[in-house]
Amino acid sequence: MQKNMEEQTPPAKILLAKTALDGHWRGINVVGRALRDAGFEIILVGMAQAEEIVNAALTEDVDLIGLNMGGRIEVVERILEQLAAAELDVPVFAGGTISPKNCRLLAEKGIETFPPGSSLHDIVAAAERLTKGTF
Amino acid sequence: MTRQTSSGIPLKPVYTATDLPADHLPETVPGSAPFTRGAYPGMYRTKPWRIFQLSGYGNPEDERERIKFLLEHGETGFIMEHDRNTADHLYNVDHPEVVARHEDVGLSGAVILGVRDYETILDGIPIEQYYCHPGGAVVQHGPFALACYWTVAQRRNLDLKKLAGTGQSDFFLTYLGCITKQQVPARVGLRFNCDIIEHCAQHMPRWVPVSIAAYNGADTGLNAFQELGALFANAVEYLDVVKARGNLDLAQLAQGIGGVNFRVSMDFFEDICKLRAARKMWHRLLTERYGITDERALRLRIHVVTAGSAMTYQQPLNNIARGTLMALASVLGGVQSLGVSGYDEAISIPSEHAHQMSVRIQQILQHETNITAVADPLGGSYFIESLTAELEERAWDFFNQIQDEGGFINTLDSGWLHQHASQNQIEQEMALWDGRKSVVGVNMAQESIEPLEINGHEPVEGVWENAMARLETIKRSRDQKAASQALRDLEQACRTDKNIMPVMGTAVAADVTLGEIGDVFREVFGDWNPPIQL
Repeated sequence: MQKNMEEQTPPAKILLAKTALDGHWRGINVVGRALRDAGFEIILVGMAQAEEIVNAALTEDVDLIGLNMGGRIEVVERILEQLAAAELDVPVFAGGTISPKNCRLLAEKGIETFPPGSSLHDIVAAAERLTKGTF
Repeated sequence: MTRQTSSGIPLKPVYTATDLPADHLPETVPGSAPFTRGAYPGMYRTKPWRIFQLSGYGNPEDERERIKFLLEHGETGFIMEHDRNTADHLYNVDHPEVVARHEDVGLSGAVILGVRDYETILDGIPIEQYYCHPGGAVVQHGPFALACYWTVAQRRNLDLKKLAGTGQSDFFLTYLGCITKQQVPARVGLRFNCDIIEHCAQHMPRWVPVSIAAYNGADTGLNAFQELGALFANAVEYLDVVKARGNLDLAQLAQGIGGVNFRVSMDFFEDICKLRAARKMWHRLLTERYGITDERALRLRIHVVTAGSAMTYQQPLNNIARGTLMALASVLGGVQSLGVSGYDEAISIPSEHAHQMSVRIQQILQHETNITAVADPLGGSYFIESLTAELEERAWDFFNQIQDEGGFINTLDSGWLHQHASQNQIEQEMALWDGRKSVVGVNMAQESIEPLEINGHEPVEGVWENAMARLETIKRSRDQKAASQALRDLEQACRTDKNIMPVMGTAVAADVTLGEIGDVFREVFGDWNPPIQL
């Protein structure tokens, strides 16, 4: 019965993007692998601008957006603004080098953050929670 | 329970004389071949290791202040960090990719558009007195950075033949660990590096023209023996190409590139043995493969950066202990130069206090512990000698695998090296979460009474706007005819097999900017096609 249901439902799609012009890929590789192993479909768009992220999220019809931060919070805020402007109601979570202060600022905007040392189990659990009901 | 090193070498509970390798020579001393025990006889009695920290951010003036701060607090060489958005990509600040995230500009290094910005940063710093890394860690940025630095030196009437430092020009950084949006193909990078090597041999003989930074491979996931094997596979590319060009004496070439960069992380003894094995391997490579006998070439000089990835986000003050242990391992391994990652490494570039702490850790080791009195104090230890030999054997095996794959550059182009790094990344992460590996504050001892919240370095506002204004000023006030001619000459040199460094010197002296040089490279060489998707 369970198996049958899985076959009928396509996996939830997660878009993973890097907000900065910083190509360190270790974090996104490890997180992307864990999410894939947990059954998600992963769309990688690399070092993408706000507009490119919004377009990819629309085109791919994703259920969740994961932002790999390597820079300042203003760049992430621009992405959130453009998502809102496009009336894209997709949840966003973020990982990477995010200071405790910026984690709080993002939490106020409803963004869960996963700074270095976060457990992959917690990241996968968050992805499952945030995509619940979307597939 | 079985125990092993972080690269998977099995460890016995105790070692005895029967574990000593067959080629162990008990009477060998540091400073003599094969240099396993150290590059120089007196080691730190003769010359303390250089305190050499990555530094810089914001506007050129901010970078200068941080460098001066570090020098005043005990640093004995200095490093100029460049803004990643612009420098790594050879983009000016008005490039659309930079404009789209302009708040990030200056976050991890100063924006340096041309020789005028170099002059601003170096103003008041007597560069002839210091070993300097003036930028150019990224291969395609190397020629520009070196030419800007020597132009500043020429304008101060300094003798370039006495100038000491390194530009690095490292493949492990942007072709393996931190892949840029756009850069020249790796083979073109190899040509640039060989041009730099030949140019420096003639004009700047004390300069380390390229410094292979296997650190960047290790922090991307390569284990200890892979880091060693890949570093020497890279060295072989330089040696073979420059040898084939036939302009340089091989010993002089080998001496030039024999200043390298390793990572030391938290596997204390394995990391010590890695540095010992490196010196032995360099000696063997040069003598056996190239027939070099000049002792100055056979001594491998080592700079270590302690592992940034070992610094935890959680309970960041614990990183002071980690930095100390990694620095101690580096010193017991016989480094010539050392940079200790900041305790706030997982959050940002170092705050002023974290930076000072990295210097203080080194000063405490140099002045309070008496460990500088005796060279290679661990030499002769059954365990150390055995592990050194084991690492060497596995490293040669990895080196040979790279040769079978067509050489180091091919393994970057094909993604072979990335695959190895990726496998290790996953494995290291799994070990952390299934409890095989413990990290305090991360997967154990998570409760803490932190006395203060560490938020790292506070970014400077307005860096991009200031750089836009400087760019406009440069273009308005320079001799446009000279700049245009220099760009045409650079393009011409790129299209032939001429050494690009002389025309690069003319170009930067004519106020040609970073992004314009990048445009020429992109036009002539096109882009490298990364073997992995980010």
